[in-house]
Amino acid sequence: MPDKNNKNLINSIRSFSKKYAIGVPFILLIVSTALFFFLQDAELKAETIQRLTNSNFRTWLPVLLLTMGQALVLIGGGLDLSNGSIVSVGNVILALHVTTADEPWHNLAIVALVIGFGIAAGFLNGVLTVFLGLQPVIVTFATSFIYAGLALLLLPSPGGAIPREYTNVYRNTQYLGIPISMIILIIFLLIWEFFRYRKYGRFLYAVGGNPRAAYTTGVPVTWMKVSTYILSGFLASLGAITYSLLTGSGFSGSGADMTLPSITGAIIGGISFSGGSGSILGAIFGGIVLGNIRRIISIIRIDSWAVTLVNALVILLSLAAPGFINLLRRKK
Amino acid sequence: MENICLKTIEIQKRFGGVRALIDGSITVREGEVLALVGSNGSGKSTLAKIITGVLDHDDGQIDYFDQTVTFSHPMAAQKSGIMAVYQDLSLVPSLTVAQNIWLANEPLTRSGFIDNRSMISETNELLALFENTFQSSLHPEAYVSSLPPDEKQIVEILKVVSRDPKVIIFDEATASLDSNQVNCLFNIIQRLKQDKKALVFISHRMDEIFRIADRAVVLRNGRTIGDAIITETNENAIVKMMVGSEKFFVNDNKSLVDLSQSEPALIAENVENQKLKGVSFSVKQGELVGIGGLRGQGQSVLLHTLFGNELYSGEITLFGKTINFKHPKDAMLEDVAFIPGDRSTEGLLMIRSILENFHLPNWRKYAQPLLNLKQAKGDAHTVGQQLNLKMESLESPINTLSGGNAQKVVIGKWLLRKPRLMLLDDPTKGVDVGTKAEFYQLLNQLSQSGTTILFYSSDDQELLDLCPRIIVMQDGRIKADLSDESLTEENLIAASMGAHETVNNDEVIAHA
Repeated sequence: MPDKNNKNLINSIRSFSKKYAIGVPFILLIVSTALFFFLQDAELKAETIQRLTNSNFRTWLPVLLLTMGQALVLIGGGLDLSNGSIVSVGNVILALHVTTADEPWHNLAIVALVIGFGIAAGFLNGVLTVFLGLQPVIVTFATSFIYAGLALLLLPSPGGAIPREYTNVYRNTQYLGIPISMIILIIFLLIWEFFRYRKYGRFLYAVGGNPRAAYTTGVPVTWMKVSTYILSGFLASLGAITYSLLTGSGFSGSGADMTLPSITGAIIGGISFSGGSGSILGAIFGGIVLGNIRRIISIIRIDSWAVTLVNALVILLSLAAPGFINLLRRKK
Repeated sequence: MENICLKTIEIQKRFGGVRALIDGSITVREGEVLALVGSNGSGKSTLAKIITGVLDHDDGQIDYFDQTVTFSHPMAAQKSGIMAVYQDLSLVPSLTVAQNIWLANEPLTRSGFIDNRSMISETNELLALFENTFQSSLHPEAYVSSLPPDEKQIVEILKVVSRDPKVIIFDEATASLDSNQVNCLFNIIQRLKQDKKALVFISHRMDEIFRIADRAVVLRNGRTIGDAIITETNENAIVKMMVGSEKFFVNDNKSLVDLSQSEPALIAENVENQKLKGVSFSVKQGELVGIGGLRGQGQSVLLHTLFGNELYSGEITLFGKTINFKHPKDAMLEDVAFIPGDRSTEGLLMIRSILENFHLPNWRKYAQPLLNLKQAKGDAHTVGQQLNLKMESLESPINTLSGGNAQKVVIGKWLLRKPRLMLLDDPTKGVDVGTKAEFYQLLNQLSQSGTTILFYSSDDQELLDLCPRIIVMQDGRIKADLSDESLTEENLIAASMGAHETVNNDEVIAHA
């Protein structure tokens, strides 16, 4: 039997981390970032840190945007397995149709088309899961193949190009030493914080926590759920745009490897599959931790055939850590 | 006469092949408390849900202030001023008390952000309505998932009251409240009555209906049977309307087993843990012992401890053998059965079939090595008949059963193991009169056939009717052991109330 004080302490820690839900991901973020910089061969000057941060964040931003969308869907009690395929479609459309930088209006229209596609695809996911009451795993798994198939149809073999004028802006712009990718991320986080403390945020957590209770209380459950899928689709289309700016070319399988990291990142960040808990900030932390892990693995030059294995083990460990801690405490 | 506020005319509702409501007709006036009574499955909750827009109706008409209305969803009803305190609660466990109370009704700042400060201060004002009846763990920023059932119920009530609706339906709102909390609720209801609200009060507790209601409408098998002015009727008349032609058991058949020759079945000596403060008692084989007292004085913990669910120090002897159960599995091996109070979370797999639920603790018996399904079904049928279980088939899921019938399955699954000691943890909560009567008979039969029974109930009347001996608990100790002459309602209430006054402050904090 733990004594009273001890129990109170545990309870207050628990309620703190429940309220902010970023305790563990924040620690992981600090540790993994520190480790990443510690393992660099080069001397750590401000310049180097800036360069590394830029190269990290411009690479991670597409996945982090997807993680954000995924986190919204998960908090609302759903799951989106199709966000990676939405990236593929967006990337292919951009690579095929964005022309030279002299035609800004045409290019802007293409960007709008990509965003429109993301929103439409998310809406379709939402309608199929919420209105028809189908399982989100099945629905978005199926639509992921539809979108991936569409991307393949549009661009069977890698090709296309994004003008250098555009890609350079994304790759190299910095304000006050902060890379543009990081600024975009912070802007989206601030936008979310804005909505989180309004009705939308409260409703989202209620819907994920207990949809039936939320419904009987007068929360527009259906619309809330559909809106999370729309937002996920929207953020995936932004992921497509940033990804295209990063690589400068088109490939029909470009988003295929983003779906799973978007889920893993959110889960490491403290979001639960059962919905109603966790935070977007935590999910972003989780996504960054995931990125750091990959970088660290590549720095310490593990044989390439072991990368996947080590990667997976690290992820599993960080996911299982809270469970292990609980288990140890109970044994005592 | 006040204005008619809400009127439902011949509402009908089907769920698949089941006709839940055939003729739901009620009228409520402003400033009136209407009691809606009927056994479980008579359609009370269904009617409440139709009025509030949670369910749609197949036929019939709802008039609200002389206008015919249809609410396609709860938000619409809420906007018109019709709300319900739901029996199965409409709270989000992962949100805090304040967030739940103000959900979809949040106070906003001018710029559209949620005004947390006023939300919390207003929640504190609301909680003051139930002042001194809950533990300090209930505060605006506590998570609802961490609250005990009675405090959850209080939050549910305050949530509705905070929205100041014109019509409030209280669906079994008192089922998990203790008497002080019920008094607070009744004060609130009196105040609402003065404000000319129209109130519908659904309860199984007859005394409450006679205390608070002005009029009663009786539903039976989905039909409105009739209504009565409370001051012009009595309990028997209403019970007769509820059960109709069916025989109603009056419980005077207290178990008359001769225990003088019996060996002691259970001896507890100085059992202590976090909640129990040295409990000693002994029970004879075949004895039916009630456990009473105010809610939350350690009764449930005692039963859980005996079932190996809680650690303890002290000595427990069962059928002449000193035991130290570390897991319910150990208790089951000694033929101990535990019937929990919260059937949906502790007792049953709600979406699985009746058969599966019956045999959950028993499958090992049928492994030969493949499951002998034929025998399993046969046994389940026998027990189902013994319990007079009303079901479509053994394959239908539990959630198609009414509350009383579902509780029978919880008991049935243990009967199949032929237990020697049965522990019952407030099993009749939210169970209707007819099923209760059958349940009492069953307990008497079991006790006569030699099963030892420990029966905790929050309903004093039930204990007095059923048990030849009652142990009253107070603050983790046994306050009184009543039997024969000492077993009177006065003694029982005195022992439990006396306990309440002597609760010391340290304890309240420790429980928090």
